[in-house]
Amino acid sequence: MSTPDRNYHAIHITKDKCIGCVHCMSACPTRAIRVADGRARIIDQLCIDCAECLRVCPHEAVHSHTTSFASLEAFEYKVAIPSTVIYGQFGSSVVPNEILSALRRVGFDEVYDLSSICELNCAATEEYLNEHPRPRPYITATCPVVVRIIQRRYPTLCAQILPIEPPREIAAKILRTILPKALGIAAEKIGIIHITPCPAKMVSINSPATLSKSYLDGAISIRDIFPQILKALRKSEEDAMMRHLFPETLFSGIGMGWSLSGGEIRGLKRHRAVAVSGIQDTMRVLDQVEGGLLQDIDLLECTVCPDGCVGGPLGVENRFLAKSRILELVGAAGEHAVVDQKDVSRLYHKNFLSFDHPVAPAESRPLDHDPVKAIDKAKLRDKLAAELPLKDCGVCGAPDCRTLADDIARGYARLEDCPFIKTAAKEKR
Amino acid sequence: MPAAEPVFRREFPVKGGDFAKAGAAACEIKELLKDLGLDAATVRRAAIVAYEAEMNVIMYAWKARMDLAVSPDEVRLTVDDSGPGIADIELAMTEGYSTATAEMRELGFGAGMGLPNIKRNADVFAIDSEVGRGTRLDITIRTNGHHP
Repeated sequence: MSTPDRNYHAIHITKDKCIGCVHCMSACPTRAIRVADGRARIIDQLCIDCAECLRVCPHEAVHSHTTSFASLEAFEYKVAIPSTVIYGQFGSSVVPNEILSALRRVGFDEVYDLSSICELNCAATEEYLNEHPRPRPYITATCPVVVRIIQRRYPTLCAQILPIEPPREIAAKILRTILPKALGIAAEKIGIIHITPCPAKMVSINSPATLSKSYLDGAISIRDIFPQILKALRKSEEDAMMRHLFPETLFSGIGMGWSLSGGEIRGLKRHRAVAVSGIQDTMRVLDQVEGGLLQDIDLLECTVCPDGCVGGPLGVENRFLAKSRILELVGAAGEHAVVDQKDVSRLYHKNFLSFDHPVAPAESRPLDHDPVKAIDKAKLRDKLAAELPLKDCGVCGAPDCRTLADDIARGYARLEDCPFIKTAAKEKR
Repeated sequence: MPAAEPVFRREFPVKGGDFAKAGAAACEIKELLKDLGLDAATVRRAAIVAYEAEMNVIMYAWKARMDLAVSPDEVRLTVDDSGPGIADIELAMTEGYSTATAEMRELGFGAGMGLPNIKRNADVFAIDSEVGRGTRLDITIRTNGHHP
């Protein structure tokens, strides 16, 4: 496990591949990208690792730091806990047990399904909501980008993040507690790896917002490990038949759909919950919550990828097919609980499922830390915005004219960076 | 506010019935206050006040101007609308009292918490209304003072 790093980011721009076009800059929801000297640059403080830039880059210049399978050699015992998104990646003839088995043949010593832990999380969430009638709404903490965006843009909502760890961390914590004793292997020699369509999981692992240390050792992207799984699946027809006829894992129908928008709240029995997906809609709704709305809702599930984690940028199958396959599996698994409510209660009341510490707001980024100077700069910014053409062409290297005005007021850019202003000045001369 | 004190001002026009833009002015106000370096609690109170005031205009009035004035010590918001006005202010200030239509309630508004909620989050609150002409709200939130 690595030590937490406050400035860790999973999203990076490869300088050699970037041609300085403006696709990523326009797509960035927090206006964290600038283009200067023909290259895009990410402003660390503003980036929330949502990967919108990675989705739109036509030159594959935006990449995400995920764990490589080769780097796991350091561990004596390798455990995989794949996101349930993986079950939607291989078409309808491949059953989840086959996928888990294929992962073992890829080289993991053990592979655990997360659907039952998702169900456990849902039951714990229900208990938490029962015991805490206020504030409303609580916001789920599963999506690491949502946590980051709240820390940066909606700091007053930090206290409304429901303080139950997401399934991937709960699963890793349980395994990390039990496996060293069960296997007789030192804890640090056991590698627990998440497999995910999401680059931001690397952020919650390397720079956790609610834990002093993540229980996971890394995250492999589905995209990276997909070819190996496919090869392992193709190689052994006997194994496939075994898994079909002698299924060894019991999947939770309540947890299986966790990766689809609405999946986290589907199992709630007594509370009014709403699911939002997509970065723009998530921000719109969080704006409303910060404005005091939605107080009649108990729980707000926000995931920044479209349709939920199934729409993560590092998946392989298109999200519509993946979603359809997962819904099939949800139906097949049925509605009955596979997790014992007594286990949930015990872990919940031992605070085994809770955050180590609440989410803290990120350092704010006012125009100036001196309030009088900040007012002056805000006035200057308005004056500059009035001079700019408001065409938002991006040629200056900022995503829009208002952001250029903001950059100038902060001392990071000049009015002459605007091509319209520059041309007008030339003509005048 | 003494004349010498630096004040940042901006005005926001709001149109009655413009649900498509509901909350836009409040969001802009919130972003501005963050840029001006106000503490999170003040920003939250101002956001709630601005949101409620803006929604009141959109739901009931014809048009309005929201004027924001921010100094290092206080946030002042005046909302001057042309609209039907409020006949019984005391009744309108009662929690749970609402004249919202079913459609408004369907949208999650009109729980009768608007004006009382504004008052609760303000340090100074004044309301003046004339039936058939409009309503004026004058709200002050102190940034350094304590919320009552």
